[in-house]
Amino acid sequence: MNMFSSCMITALVILTLPIIMSSTKLYKNKLYPYYVKTATSYAFMISMIPTMMFIYSGQEMIISNWHWMTIQTTKLSMSFKLDYFSMIFVPVALFVTWSIMEFSMWYMHSDPYINRFFKYLLLFLITMMVLVTANNMFQLFIGWEGVGIMSFLLIGWWYGRTDANTAALQAVLYNRIGDVGFIMAMAWFQLNLNTWDLQQIFITTNDNFNLPLLGLLLAATGKSAQFGLHPWLPSAMEGPTPVSALLHSSTMVVAGVFLLIRFHPLMEHNQTIQTLTLCLGAITTLLTAICALTQNDIKKIVAFSTSSQLGLMMVTIGINQPYLAFLHICTHAFFKAMLFMCSGSIIHSLNDEQDIRKMGGLFKVLPFTTTSLIIGSLALTGMPFLTGFYSKDLIIESANTSNTNAWALLITLVATSLTAAYSTRIMFFALLGQPRFSPMILINENNPLLINSIKRLLIGSVFAGYIISHSITPTTIPQMTMPHYLKMTALAVTILGFILALELNLTTQGLKFNYPSNYFKFSSLLGYYPTIMHRLTPKTSLTISQKSASMLLDSIWLENILPKSISYFQMKSSTLISNQKGLIKLYFLSFMLTMILSLLILNYHG
Amino acid sequence: MLKIIIPTIMLIPLTWMSKPNMIWINTTTYGLLISLISLFYLNQPNDNTLNSSLMFFSDSLSAPLLALTTWLLPLMLMASQHHLSKEPLTRKKLYISMLILLQLFLIMTFTASELIFFYILFEATLIPTLIIITRWGNQTERLNAGLYFLFYTLMGSLPLLVALLYIHNFMGSLNFLMIQYWIQPLPNSWSNIFLWLACMMAFMVKMPLYGLHLWLPKAHVEAPIAGSMVLAAVLLKLGGYGMMRITTLLNPLTNFMAYPFMMLSLWGMIMTSSICLRQTDLKSLIAYSSVSHMALVIVAVLIQTPWSYMGATALMIAHGLTSSMLFCLANSNYERIHSRTMVLARGLQTLLPLMAAWWLLASLTNLALPPTINLIGELFVVMSSFSWSNTTIILMGINIIITALYSLYMLITTQRGKYSHHIKNIKPSFTRENALMTLHLLPLLLLSLNPKIILGPIY
Repeated sequence: MNMFSSCMITALVILTLPIIMSSTKLYKNKLYPYYVKTATSYAFMISMIPTMMFIYSGQEMIISNWHWMTIQTTKLSMSFKLDYFSMIFVPVALFVTWSIMEFSMWYMHSDPYINRFFKYLLLFLITMMVLVTANNMFQLFIGWEGVGIMSFLLIGWWYGRTDANTAALQAVLYNRIGDVGFIMAMAWFQLNLNTWDLQQIFITTNDNFNLPLLGLLLAATGKSAQFGLHPWLPSAMEGPTPVSALLHSSTMVVAGVFLLIRFHPLMEHNQTIQTLTLCLGAITTLLTAICALTQNDIKKIVAFSTSSQLGLMMVTIGINQPYLAFLHICTHAFFKAMLFMCSGSIIHSLNDEQDIRKMGGLFKVLPFTTTSLIIGSLALTGMPFLTGFYSKDLIIESANTSNTNAWALLITLVATSLTAAYSTRIMFFALLGQPRFSPMILINENNPLLINSIKRLLIGSVFAGYIISHSITPTTIPQMTMPHYLKMTALAVTILGFILALELNLTTQGLKFNYPSNYFKFSSLLGYYPTIMHRLTPKTSLTISQKSASMLLDSIWLENILPKSISYFQMKSSTLISNQKGLIKLYFLSFMLTMILSLLILNYHG
Repeated sequence: MLKIIIPTIMLIPLTWMSKPNMIWINTTTYGLLISLISLFYLNQPNDNTLNSSLMFFSDSLSAPLLALTTWLLPLMLMASQHHLSKEPLTRKKLYISMLILLQLFLIMTFTASELIFFYILFEATLIPTLIIITRWGNQTERLNAGLYFLFYTLMGSLPLLVALLYIHNFMGSLNFLMIQYWIQPLPNSWSNIFLWLACMMAFMVKMPLYGLHLWLPKAHVEAPIAGSMVLAAVLLKLGGYGMMRITTLLNPLTNFMAYPFMMLSLWGMIMTSSICLRQTDLKSLIAYSSVSHMALVIVAVLIQTPWSYMGATALMIAHGLTSSMLFCLANSNYERIHSRTMVLARGLQTLLPLMAAWWLLASLTNLALPPTINLIGELFVVMSSFSWSNTTIILMGINIIITALYSLYMLITTQRGKYSHHIKNIKPSFTRENALMTLHLLPLLLLSLNPKIILGPIY
């Protein structure tokens, strides 16, 4: 027993303290956001101790604490898995969250419910920690659903806005479709392997893991916004910018990829699922990169680029390199969170203006934000020796040299060059050129909360990739040699994208569309996917539920077959059988006739 | 068992002899004390049952339902205070007496060890419920609803009486405890198929099975708050309880007789939950959601595996507390807006933030957020149906998605968005209402910590 587990538990317990505090008077305090931020930073620092120990000695650990229940032969207990993935990801997530919390103290300072906002952020962080450190599928599922619900609450933070509510519901719906896959995988594992513990799942052999892996892939598709279930991620930008920075770029959306990385011992021998993952990732990365090209909302562009990077991570899993995918998760967290914070800084400075066509020339008024945005974008495109380079370059190299689907590779390469194109577009429109925003706005970015938080991530975006990739012993053998042109591919396509985008932007800046081309429409309407899927499917299903389920079946058939028809036949038969029919006129008429007749006869008789 | 039954009977004189301003508080406190006694039965030290007498017993299947019943009486009393505030004193007392009488019958039903005795009490619960619905409902349609309620359940359960007499005739006893040792496998014949139908239909109607569920939305919508609560929380569970008790007699016929009913339930749960998506009436939405959840219980009971039985019992308790809480929340809206229509109660979060928190928690438990007992129930049912046939996961999955959708649709419509102007001057939420919601949530949370006490006899 050493400091390893105790430090980890301390870090997790520190996170729960502000939640417990929220039932005391301190919650009413104005300093509550500050407490939450401090708790997160302490948790980060304490969690660095076991991470250092892990890097130094490579020790892994499983903590099993509390026996929850035993159902027949399945034992469920609270247990944490402290292995490579969780030990690296926990400090990264805590570091990013720390910065984002500091940033939101600046961004949300005028919100009357800022304390509740911080509580939600912290609750989200806790569920994320549960997800990352879970050692059995049930605990993983708790974290999995927890981040989903917290994302619902945080996207719908401004609950007076219809768009925010719709986006929140949309996020839950798409995630829920993924959850079905997760539940199916859970059921399959329970049924066939009789366990939910990760170790026990991995040591058990079974001929055919296709079904549970398909379920897990579906779950990852939902959570990580892969093709088919991707529209919720750009819609989720309705939430406050800190939420986009935390949930929808660096932590929650990578949970799907993380799940597949967790289960890679099952995936690595399964060609079918790998090919599926590869193709899914490739399609996602290309489609969302295309969509990002023509967006004008700065947050939407960053969101689509997140989606595209998630696709790249899936591609990496598809070429059987889970460690590289994990490295990309970690490096991506730094610069993508920073990109969101920079766009938040711009949006806040320009009085909630998100349209990049109305920005321009910000390098003069927001020099620090401009610096960070450019560095973040360069890191995203994989500029050598920035953070993104260490993962992205390796991914493209291993894809180039692996024996893989050539189409998927080509698509990924195109998407990589598009990454450079839309990054150029943001920089070109928002930062360079002439100002196009209202001259009456007072712009000031010199707030320590803003500067410090971005600065911290800025340092991370420059150095984190180097540190993380160099302090971990490689677990899969990297490609040692390759031809010259393959080595340069990643760089070449990126530079190509840069130059093309810059040229196009320069030449077309003063021009106006006569009418948009079909390609442009395809991109700006997000590949027509939301138009089709968000109109047709809800309309059909809601019409079916109204017309057939509610009206035809419930109100007409079921109502008529049993109650109405019984009462109808009862009435009919009772009127038929009864000899008393209530025909008063007829009775009286016959009565009168007989009276008259009898009177007449009697009279005559007399 | 007398130590619960006699105090419950003594609640009636307490009601009638209390001072006018003390009737609610006296009965509520006393009811809570009784519910504390019932918690002792949750401790089932030996493997089989706790036999109190020749008439009454309790095992780990009936004990949680018993605790739920007694727990619900004080909650019903708390919930209906506002509803009855305009009534004369005698009628208030009569109403409370009806609730107490219902609790008495329910306790005896859940603990009866003799099938005929069970049957009589099962039918007897109809009387106070019918009176509550038709006397204290809010609209004229309550009479129609009462008619539907009475006739559906009576028509369903009359064949059971015949079947029970027949079983008594060839078995010589109808004691639950003895009969499970004596029972012979039923040979496959037409008469036995009808015997199966007669035994099961009574409970299927009560659950209700899709197709025989029309009485439920009507009764729920028209009943006063206490009626809706007890209907959703306990009376539906009578069906599940009865099915789980009586399937032991009907082996091996259930193996093939189950198919049409499973199909109907699987189909019905999707149909009813998609009806929920189009509901404008809040209470009707909750009622249809009950039908959809109970369909899961029917599936679980018909599958007849240990996991499915555990899932069914857990789901019954979880759904009892959740749906009762949802009805309370709907009622608190109704008392302020005076309408059940959802669009008239938009944006309440701005005005009643604490109530919005209760709404959120209730919706989350309704959509089975882990690690609540709702999830445990649903997960076990999904898993046992998956092992029964892999393809059922598609239907179950659709149902999971739709359940989440309508729960959050209900939450967003009532709580989120801009509030409308006619609700500007509504009353703030009372401590009584907040306490009521807390008392619903507390057992849910505590049971999530230790779910094994509601997992039934097979655990």
